[in-house]
Amino acid sequence: MKVLATYNIKGGVGKTATAVNLAHVAAAHGNRVLVWDLDPQGAATFYFRVKPKVKGGGKAIVRGSLELGDAIKATDFDNLDLVPADFSYRHLDLWLDDAKKPLARIRRALRQVSDEYDYVFLDCPPSISLTSESVFRAADALLVPTIPTTLSLRTYEQLDRFVEENPDMVRELKILGFFSMVDRHKRLHRRFMNELRTAHPEMLDATIPNSTDIERMGVHREPVGAYGKGSKPARAYEALWSEIQTRL
Amino acid sequence: MSKVRRYEVTAAGDFASVLSALTDHIGLRLLSLDEGERSWLDTPTGTLERAETTLEFRRPAGDGTPSLTWAAEGRVLVYDPCVSSTPPVQSSDLPDSAAFARLAALVDGGELVLGPTVNSQVAVLACLDDEEKTTARVVFDRSETLDGVALPMMLEVLPLRGYEDEAVALEKLLKRSIALSPSSTPMKEHAQQGLSVRLDGPALVPTMSAARAWRTVFQGLTDSMTQAFSGVLSGNDPEDLHAFRVAVRRIRTILQDGNDVVDPESRDRFRHEYRWLGDVTTPTRDADVHLIEFPALAATLPPSRREELASFNEILLRHRSECHAAMAVELRSIRRAQFGTAWLSFLADDDAWTGCADLADEPVLRIVLRRVEKANRQLVKNGRRITKKSPAISLHELRKEGKRLRYLLECFSPLFDEKALATILRPLRDLQDVLGEFQDTEVQANALLGLAGELASADDHSALLAIGGVIEQLGVRGSDARASFAKTFGRFDDRKVQRAVDQLEPRKKKR
Repeated sequence: MKVLATYNIKGGVGKTATAVNLAHVAAAHGNRVLVWDLDPQGAATFYFRVKPKVKGGGKAIVRGSLELGDAIKATDFDNLDLVPADFSYRHLDLWLDDAKKPLARIRRALRQVSDEYDYVFLDCPPSISLTSESVFRAADALLVPTIPTTLSLRTYEQLDRFVEENPDMVRELKILGFFSMVDRHKRLHRRFMNELRTAHPEMLDATIPNSTDIERMGVHREPVGAYGKGSKPARAYEALWSEIQTRL
Repeated sequence: MSKVRRYEVTAAGDFASVLSALTDHIGLRLLSLDEGERSWLDTPTGTLERAETTLEFRRPAGDGTPSLTWAAEGRVLVYDPCVSSTPPVQSSDLPDSAAFARLAALVDGGELVLGPTVNSQVAVLACLDDEEKTTARVVFDRSETLDGVALPMMLEVLPLRGYEDEAVALEKLLKRSIALSPSSTPMKEHAQQGLSVRLDGPALVPTMSAARAWRTVFQGLTDSMTQAFSGVLSGNDPEDLHAFRVAVRRIRTILQDGNDVVDPESRDRFRHEYRWLGDVTTPTRDADVHLIEFPALAATLPPSRREELASFNEILLRHRSECHAAMAVELRSIRRAQFGTAWLSFLADDDAWTGCADLADEPVLRIVLRRVEKANRQLVKNGRRITKKSPAISLHELRKEGKRLRYLLECFSPLFDEKALATILRPLRDLQDVLGEFQDTEVQANALLGLAGELASADDHSALLAIGGVIEQLGVRGSDARASFAKTFGRFDDRKVQRAVDQLEPRKKKR
């Protein structure tokens, strides 16, 4: 089982869209996929039309008194399941802080379902916190959607620095950055992409376009590949998934 | 993990009306409606069935793209449109994807064989909650064999993980709204067994045409055979194989005696195929008999010798398992599938039974009586020739002739005078038992001798000696059977019994 976390210190960069769409693509290829919505906003949960409620409470999962498997809900898509968000996840940092070995908590919860899934996508809230550090410890790779703008560039480098400075915490973690919400008509986007690729040649080649098709996920409440199969963004997520697999 | 709940739809009405009840009355949302040909695939040894998964190749009606679906307990593990219009024949033909790689690993590089094929209408419906999220799926399936025999309409409720309570509520609603009967038989098994193919013909009456009567007998025997079929494949109960083989032998006998009644070309073809079907099941039945009888045979040895047979019992178990695996390959083969479909088509085709042979339209009783008389005459003639010096083969041939007479009498029993029939059958069955014991002990002794070779090569001399004791016991039983032949045959060749053969025609009731 590979654990992939969609992560960025900055919000609004397409983390949830990435988690939901890549999970859908991976499942459509016949992989057994789980999405764990760790963001109390519950956007991934909303996209899958699941009620944002963990029976028994999210705290119980983190504490280990509730099996992760008991919180799993099937989505409408074959091979694709979800651990829904719970508004109480806003206290996740506090729960982890109270727990023994907080950084191992998410990894330990995931171990319970390691035989059932090929890929787990963790949809993380923005910020660097105890939650994100726990995610870093659990994940095999961080998928970092990055908008080609000054601020995104800055946050990508912040993350890069954090990883460099904390080698014990992140261990074998791979950082897979890619450009998201790209508007190729904007000269500035093209310029930042060139600059960032020069500075960080490890960034993925695949890019996700800025598209109303992706925005319509909120209307359809399903992954873009479900209602816009063959559309440009759907193809972009396919290409991204294909490239991620070669890097894993 | 959630399990599929399966029902047979017993409600009156066709596919469209039940589907309409599901969508309009119960409020399920129709997700897909597929029509077309559907085949199940498996390895020759049934690897996928053992793993509780199914692999379906679907050819949609019209110009649609064929597809391949691998599923477990109703849950689709992978679905893929196929480039090829023919089903994959080996694991390397499977589409290139992660899930199909898992399937290929399960199949372990082996070949895939085509199982039953049906024409289907399959509707997949969703039960939605107030967020319009699917909480359970319902698969409504109406299928028929390629020659148009309808299989039972099936309905499956597939609970989704985390929504088990909602699935239970849906089931209650379905049961209240539509006539359903719980079923443990998936459609694949229906198609494989032809269980739904209730070939009920009219009851046998002396005045019906010979062709119609022959067809009725075949229909009943086919039912018995198909009902035992899944048990034969699973191999859990030796009685299933026994019942299957009895039905096959009876069909062969009735075909043999169907000259001038059954279409000659079909008769030749099916006699040949049923002979093959009987032959492929013989080694497994023999192995079953070894295993069933071995404890009783071992019990005839001194207690100290019995323990030495433990290793031989393992050889018998392994041999039985090998025989069963080889038989399963044949029973899942394309040859058997094609022959099974052709046989059902033949039975269902009215034209194939009308004016098909010279005596087809003659009253059945006259024809059957003539054939019973002939079979009896031959049995008596050859039985009288048996002496103490006759070779074993003569008794084996006599056993076959006895079977022929017995099956004719039993299969057409409703036509005969009950008292006369009982008078003949009682000594005939005793005679068959004696002849059977003589032949079985000989076959068993030879088989055990062959298997004992493994003990010799393993230098297991104590077990080898014990087996020698068992074979000796079989020899004694065989000799006893042979010794009792003359007396048993004499009871059959009795004047009272032979007179009963002439009295088989039911007497007309006095007014």
